[in-house]
Amino acid sequence: MRRKGMKRKLNESLTAYGFLLPNLLGLTVFVFVPMVYAFYVSLHDWNALSPKVFIGFENYKEMASDKEWWKSVNRTFIFTVIYVPLLFAGSLFFAVMLNSMKQRFVGVARTMFLLPFAITSVISAVIWMFLYDPRHGFINQFFDLLGLPKQQFLGSTDQALFAIIVVIFWINLGYNMMIFLASIKEIPLDYYEAAKIDGATGWKAFWNITFPLLRPTSIFILVVTTIGSFQVFDQIMVMTKGGPANSTMVSVLYIYKQGFEFLNMGYASALAVVLFLIIFVLSLAQLRLYTKKD
Amino acid sequence: MGKNKTILTVFIFACGLLIILPIFFLVFSSFRAPEDVFKLSLNLGNLTLDNFKAVLETNILRAIWNSLVVSVTVTVVAMLFHAMSGYALARLNFPGKKFVFGWMISTMMVPFTVIMIPLYMVTKNLGLANSYGGLIIPMIFNAYGIFLFRQFYQDFPKELEEAAYVEGLSIAGTFFRLVLPLSKPMIIPLTIGFFTANWNNYLWPLIINQKEELMVVQVALANIVGGGYETAWSIVLAAALLSAIPTFIVFFSMQKYLVDGIKMSGIK
Repeated sequence: MRRKGMKRKLNESLTAYGFLLPNLLGLTVFVFVPMVYAFYVSLHDWNALSPKVFIGFENYKEMASDKEWWKSVNRTFIFTVIYVPLLFAGSLFFAVMLNSMKQRFVGVARTMFLLPFAITSVISAVIWMFLYDPRHGFINQFFDLLGLPKQQFLGSTDQALFAIIVVIFWINLGYNMMIFLASIKEIPLDYYEAAKIDGATGWKAFWNITFPLLRPTSIFILVVTTIGSFQVFDQIMVMTKGGPANSTMVSVLYIYKQGFEFLNMGYASALAVVLFLIIFVLSLAQLRLYTKKD
Repeated sequence: MGKNKTILTVFIFACGLLIILPIFFLVFSSFRAPEDVFKLSLNLGNLTLDNFKAVLETNILRAIWNSLVVSVTVTVVAMLFHAMSGYALARLNFPGKKFVFGWMISTMMVPFTVIMIPLYMVTKNLGLANSYGGLIIPMIFNAYGIFLFRQFYQDFPKELEEAAYVEGLSIAGTFFRLVLPLSKPMIIPLTIGFFTANWNNYLWPLIINQKEELMVVQVALANIVGGGYETAWSIVLAAALLSAIPTFIVFFSMQKYLVDGIKMSGIK
């Protein structure tokens, strides 16, 4: 009997390792090794064609005085500071609205809000380039109708970044709204009944019940959205390529250009390592928020 | 109260219409003659299919096919691998389990953009650049899928497996014959997620493939819109609409599950 148990245990372990093997291999080769390799390459001068030359932390030193890089980091932060609160407030607002609308129509409303999420990448960029067209685009036609001057949008150094934020907001609003809505539905209705007796309805009920109970979801959305906003690439690459005059050159795009256009693989890797540290510290800080009170 | 609800519902629908307006313009203008794409008239008489005929002359159809091959393969293989791993981590006992799980989850911390350069080098050194393999294989491995399958199997009823063991079925047999077919509630939303994400993937194919005949749809679309000349909007829009069809089909046919999937990803 005992022997049989041992055999079964061994069998179970072997099966488990067998089941895990493809992912262990894949994650090692395609995530773990590249991560370590990124740091290794960042210590070299390397243009992808000639052999790597070890230069220690020279790339990091060079980075310190690379004004364009820090400008791109700054731009990424500006993007994040505008986009994250906008998306957070927008999706929470519409989740609350959808929760209190006539429930018969919720399905249709949900579909409308979620639809852009089916076309997250180049397709959405194409649609908005068409709408933003400075000469004939529908948005400028609409401005014309209101007697407003035509705008350059993606062609303007002042407006381009914001025009891109609008697109990313448009894509992600419905998805995040759905996450909030699902969490709102989990809140027991008794809480609101009890609050009603104390005279708390509407805004008061929202601030005292809904918002505090959505805390885990809120943090989840904040962290995911912040990480996402540091990685925005597709739309910018398609719509402006970082222009005009570098006004939409965010960090990821700068790394891409250094790596794949100028072939400064070593330097680009050093930039990527620093970007990783920035994202890592930011997510940790946000997660600290999460564990602080609970 | 009832009146407020009506106003609210109307307000939400107005916002919803505003959100789908860009997609409406996409559909509408892609059926217009080149000189009319920017005309906002409700005259349905001069709609034309010429733009779509012109698109067929470009490489877009080939690119759509490539995207289908890549997205479907990644999704199918990923579902199998991640379900297996998730099951092992949730249900089987083996030495080093905690370590393996922690290690896998830690790879979720690494954003793709941070490893894109070394990932390109690794994939190239494996001889996978400019091939379906290079487009497909690195995109399969994703700890997020493993994590969600593990969550799912932790709540999975135990009785079934116990009965199977009594019947003399092996652990692997139990998983493939009994557990996997009952995993649809997790497989469907993840399938939608993986398919859509890979269909919309632009950065990785842009980096790893330079071959014209393996170009995926997002890259092909980006090329015709930024081709250096005045954009031929009628053709670009028709191409964009065609490219959106697969994800729209998935989206509409499986919306119920999509919502379930979002709930899972958000709450857990």
